[in-house]
Amino acid sequence: MMAYWDWWMGALALGTITFFYHMLVGRRFGVSSSWERVVHWKVEKRAELLDDIAMSDAAAFQAALQEATRAEFGDDSSSVAVAAPPLQPTPPPVSESARLPLSASLTLLVMILVGAFTAAIINGRFELRTDMGPAFADIVVDGPLMWPTLFVGGVMVGIGTRMAGGCSSGHGMSGCSRLQPVSLLATSVFFGTAVVVSTLLLKVI
Amino acid sequence: MTSTVRPHIAVAFFGGALGLSLGMIGFGDFAELNAMFTFGDLRMFLTFCGAVVVAGALFFFFTSDRPKGAPIHRGIVPGAVLFGTGWAISGGCPSIPIVQLGTGYLPAVVTMAGIAVGMRAYRKLNAKYFHFDGGACAL
Repeated sequence: MMAYWDWWMGALALGTITFFYHMLVGRRFGVSSSWERVVHWKVEKRAELLDDIAMSDAAAFQAALQEATRAEFGDDSSSVAVAAPPLQPTPPPVSESARLPLSASLTLLVMILVGAFTAAIINGRFELRTDMGPAFADIVVDGPLMWPTLFVGGVMVGIGTRMAGGCSSGHGMSGCSRLQPVSLLATSVFFGTAVVVSTLLLKVI
Repeated sequence: MTSTVRPHIAVAFFGGALGLSLGMIGFGDFAELNAMFTFGDLRMFLTFCGAVVVAGALFFFFTSDRPKGAPIHRGIVPGAVLFGTGWAISGGCPSIPIVQLGTGYLPAVVTMAGIAVGMRAYRKLNAKYFHFDGGACAL
């Protein structure tokens, strides 16, 4: 079994991935936003159609935009949408921040799996198993309680990353590397919380 | 090559590189993760900090734009607390359960299902009660 990378190798790899993703894809590197797009694929698919409509029919685009805004922020947002000035019948400019195809978000997640599998083969750690390893059993929970624990943990991650607006890649690496205040705040809070909870799990519970 | 194919190739490359790197670093290994959060082993903590420094230096020297980021709203801190707690007990920030699955840990599928349920629940809760502005346009 091969040893894990030294810290400087991992730092170089993750740092350059964060930078070159931004440069070549034209968007902030963030895995939770890709997750969210895939999870809400119906809404995202409709948003992709909106982009197409916007290029040809401004009135239909405005109506669809109001509908999408109501879906995202509730009925209170209708007054904002109505008060907004009418859209000009010119297509919006296509910038580098234009929406990625939904299938690209799915591609990112699938390729993380492929990359991780490749790593596991290379370092000799691949093993199909129905538990999360001895450390999880010792530190968190053992036996059948593992299943609800993982599910609840996943729900917390799902709600938390969307409420905080990012995760360890979006806030932690992309945002912090650019000294964005919201990312510095979110990262210090989620990392600090993980430190406290992990310490409690290890030494108290 | 069409404009639809090009982003897929770039994203596929970086997704593969991320999965490979996370697997080679050990982020999918719960023992390593807990050692990072309890400072029992500084290797992965230094990896995380070092990655921020490397990316920060590259952005500083090779780009001119300085985005200010999304707005800070009332949901940032409670959201980050929820995320940090979930990460510590399941070992899964959103990419890590995928890495765990790629390493052979089949129960990571349950964590992934939880993440999907959580994200769907948050969107409904935000539309009905919170109305937090994630500032997606500012990213």
